[in-house]
Amino acid sequence: MTTVVAEPHDRLRPRRRTWTPWWLLLPAVVILGALFGYPMGQLGLLSVLDFRQAQVSGGQPTRFLGLANYARIFGDPQFWSVLSATVLFAAACVVATLAVGAGLAVLLTRISKWPRLLLSLAAMAAWAVPAVSGSTVWMFLFDTDLGLVNQTLGLDGVNWMYDRYSAFALVGAVVVWHSFPFVMVTLYAGIEAIPGSVLEAAAIDGASTWRTFWQIMVPILRPLLAIVVIQSIIWDFKVFTQIYVMTRGGGIAGQNLTLNVWAYQQAFAAGEYGLGAAIGVVMMVILLVVTLLYLRTLRRTGEPL
Amino acid sequence: MRLRLAAAAALALTLTACTPSTSSPSSAPSDGGARTGTLKVWLFDEPNRAPKEAVVNDAIAEFTAAHPDTKVDLAYIAVDTRSERFKGAFNDPASAPDVVEYGNTDLPEYAAAGGLADLGPAVTAWPEGADLGADARASATYQGTLLGVPWYVGVRALYYRTDVFTELGLKAPTSQAELVEAAHTVRAKKPDLFGVAVGGKYTFGALPFVWDAGGDIASINSAQSRAGLKAYTDLIKPDNCPPQQCADLTGGKTVELFASGKAGMAIIGNFNRAAVDAGAAKGKYAVVPLPGTKPGSIAPAFAGGNNLGIMRNSQRPALAADFLTLLAGKKYQARMYDAMGNLPTLKSARAEVAGKDPFLQPFLATIDAGTKFVPLDPGWGKIDAAAVLPTMIEKVATGKATVEQATDEAATAIDAALGS
Amino acid sequence: MKISRRLLDGLAILIAIVTVFPIYWMILAALKPPGEIQSLDQRPWTLAPSLAAFRRVIAVDDFGRYFLNSVLVALVVVVASGLCAFLAAVALTRFRFRLRTTVLVLFLVAQMVPIEALTIPLFFLVRDIGARVPAVGLNTLGSLMLVHTAFTLPFAIWMLRGFVAAIPEELDEAAQLDGASRFTILWRILFPLVAPGLAATSVFSFITAWNDFLFARTFIISATDRQTLPMALLVFFKPDENDWGAIMAASTLMTVPVLIFFLLVRRRLVAGLGGAVKD
Repeated sequence: MTTVVAEPHDRLRPRRRTWTPWWLLLPAVVILGALFGYPMGQLGLLSVLDFRQAQVSGGQPTRFLGLANYARIFGDPQFWSVLSATVLFAAACVVATLAVGAGLAVLLTRISKWPRLLLSLAAMAAWAVPAVSGSTVWMFLFDTDLGLVNQTLGLDGVNWMYDRYSAFALVGAVVVWHSFPFVMVTLYAGIEAIPGSVLEAAAIDGASTWRTFWQIMVPILRPLLAIVVIQSIIWDFKVFTQIYVMTRGGGIAGQNLTLNVWAYQQAFAAGEYGLGAAIGVVMMVILLVVTLLYLRTLRRTGEPL
Repeated sequence: MRLRLAAAAALALTLTACTPSTSSPSSAPSDGGARTGTLKVWLFDEPNRAPKEAVVNDAIAEFTAAHPDTKVDLAYIAVDTRSERFKGAFNDPASAPDVVEYGNTDLPEYAAAGGLADLGPAVTAWPEGADLGADARASATYQGTLLGVPWYVGVRALYYRTDVFTELGLKAPTSQAELVEAAHTVRAKKPDLFGVAVGGKYTFGALPFVWDAGGDIASINSAQSRAGLKAYTDLIKPDNCPPQQCADLTGGKTVELFASGKAGMAIIGNFNRAAVDAGAAKGKYAVVPLPGTKPGSIAPAFAGGNNLGIMRNSQRPALAADFLTLLAGKKYQARMYDAMGNLPTLKSARAEVAGKDPFLQPFLATIDAGTKFVPLDPGWGKIDAAAVLPTMIEKVATGKATVEQATDEAATAIDAALGS
Repeated sequence: MKISRRLLDGLAILIAIVTVFPIYWMILAALKPPGEIQSLDQRPWTLAPSLAAFRRVIAVDDFGRYFLNSVLVALVVVVASGLCAFLAAVALTRFRFRLRTTVLVLFLVAQMVPIEALTIPLFFLVRDIGARVPAVGLNTLGSLMLVHTAFTLPFAIWMLRGFVAAIPEELDEAAQLDGASRFTILWRILFPLVAPGLAATSVFSFITAWNDFLFARTFIISATDRQTLPMALLVFFKPDENDWGAIMAASTLMTVPVLIFFLLVRRRLVAGLGGAVKD
């Protein structure tokens, strides 16, 4: 392993010349390289092949398909409608999760010990519940005829899943419920790490919570916020369980399908691994583009990466 | 710089990953393999496993007594994990069992993957093999080869609320027209009940209507299929089960609705008895076969169920066949009925249990009237996964498409899947 | 405008109640007799609570074993992931080298692929690795540990990167001037200061490994004694015949250990910086 550290930038650290960062990176790179690099390579390969269970078990030979799988995806009108639905749904979930998570993180810093413990525990419980269980419970609560919400509010026979948008709204609420604890915990840890003197100074100057948050906390937390946003985008784009369970596989005539559920129905559940690989590549590229765009905007605002 | 990286990556990719990983099929020993050793068996786990376990343990005891130097290594697998497990077993023969229990609708998928062994000779040599119903045998045959022995079936019939019917002066329907009329009456006189609980996602509730009209999944846009579909979707209307509440119901949901007392009738299975008895409808219901359009006829029901099979790469096929035929025999099928309420597939076993419980009459009558099955084609898996049929029903039920449009759309998808 | 602390306390408690209500409902459903779970008369209580559902869950063969397997996998993943991520985060923040941004983005890309697409390649990879290193082959817990460590690393690295970056480099220099070795700087200074970040990522790693259904059923095929807790939950899902009571009971049993883990790391999560970095 050769030293990759460029000398001119390390004027402050002459001693570290001989300590290469690759030693530190080695464990992570090895694990990820083996467990990601190879499967990702295979993914790209599978996406251009006709690869189904029959081929996997060696019953039939694989066929090179070129870009036929991709053509099939892009030529399917349902793909485009599902894609746009997914983008909008994910965007809404990300915004909502961040708002709730950040708001509660700030709230946590301002309350007494026991309410703080209670709120953290409640949030942790929401985070800890397996996605399938949480979705099932919410589905019970909002069931048309047998659910507590409808019975208590006297909304007889209102099917939350009938209308496309109310279905997405309800599932979105569940996604936010599952995801906000992570944002809350992370941002809370970040806020707690802000030197107390900085916040005291703001308080002395008479800044309101709102201004303190936006003008002091956010700039300091920007690296953390960047990660949280990117993670949320990635996860909410790939959301599966909540949609699948609550809309019973995509809603009425597939009106609530998101990309991952659609991929599951079209490819993974049907044993079409080649097609599934192609969809995986497409999803990855979309997310990559979105993330890179986001990172570029960050860089323009001066945030060093 | 980026370009160089990308090029390097692409090169590495092509060099190291020229062929995808596959597993190579191993072949079974032609002499039937060893007659001693450990036999690995996979059976499905149940939410309440104890009764099943008791029966199976007895079968194992009888088997090991009759076959010296053998052991049975039994594993219960959750139904919900069967997809990954079976694929894992096909792809890694070291993890594969010898005898498996599998769902009969999964047969074409497993067959196409080349995972199941031909049971024709074993069943022919089996004295009780001749007793298998023709329908049952057909549902386990793929492209002419028998790949499983049906172990038990479950069918659906019409459950109805005796108290509601008595109150409204209705009789149990004997034709489809009577069924519709009864449903409308119940809904009209008792607006907070559904007449008959039907759902847009309930494929196996809808198919009997299609089949009774002479239609078929493979030709879903034929005139008969369309007539059958229309008969079903006409029930998802405000005068029976409004689309707003019923368009996205699954079979399981209709069970819950009937059990909780929200529906006057439901098309549910013999296997849902426990759930209904646990609810508010307990003691207030009776069952008749789902009537067809012709008065006095029975609409063909879907015969879901499980088969027992032998994995193709089993190293002890002869021993496996012995265990399989023991477990699938009349004695243990009858005992499985006692334990789990599963309907036997052997005619003699069915006759035996028929006498025990009058509750079974409508279901046995339904089986005897002739059951139907899904297309035995690997493409069925795709059709099922992509929810082609539920989407079709829902589109008509919600008015998003006419019967003609929806069936045409479904037919295109089905033809594409079945043809490939 | 200063809102009184009392009011905020009240708001927090209200939000806590709303957030936890579905959990309460889940536990309640686990205690209700079957007829009450799906009934036209839902009540937020039950007059006939019964532990039958919990008994059904615990009666699942080897349930205790599944539980221990899950605990083992989750703890190993937390430790391994945290360690590797910490080292990588330090490398990626304290040093500037040419491939730095690329490596960072690559780690991110790793998370963008839907996992279902990777199961077949991963299956064969694990099988082939297992041929050389049996401890991490198919049907072993090692395979789960390895895969989960890999899949939680990217997030953990990105997260800890932020925390390490927030520690001013003046601290390292101060320590160096005091004669501290690289090792000391790493473990005595940097490590404790990223404790809150580590706690957050460890909770994330724990939950990811603990609630995993997909890999557990892809890699553990025939060794039923190596199964993890989600398998016990899946037993009760049967098409058109789900045992809701047991599903809820199993879900409850799955949620509790995570809460315990959280309580254990909670202190670390909010550990202040002790004034070391404050002006």
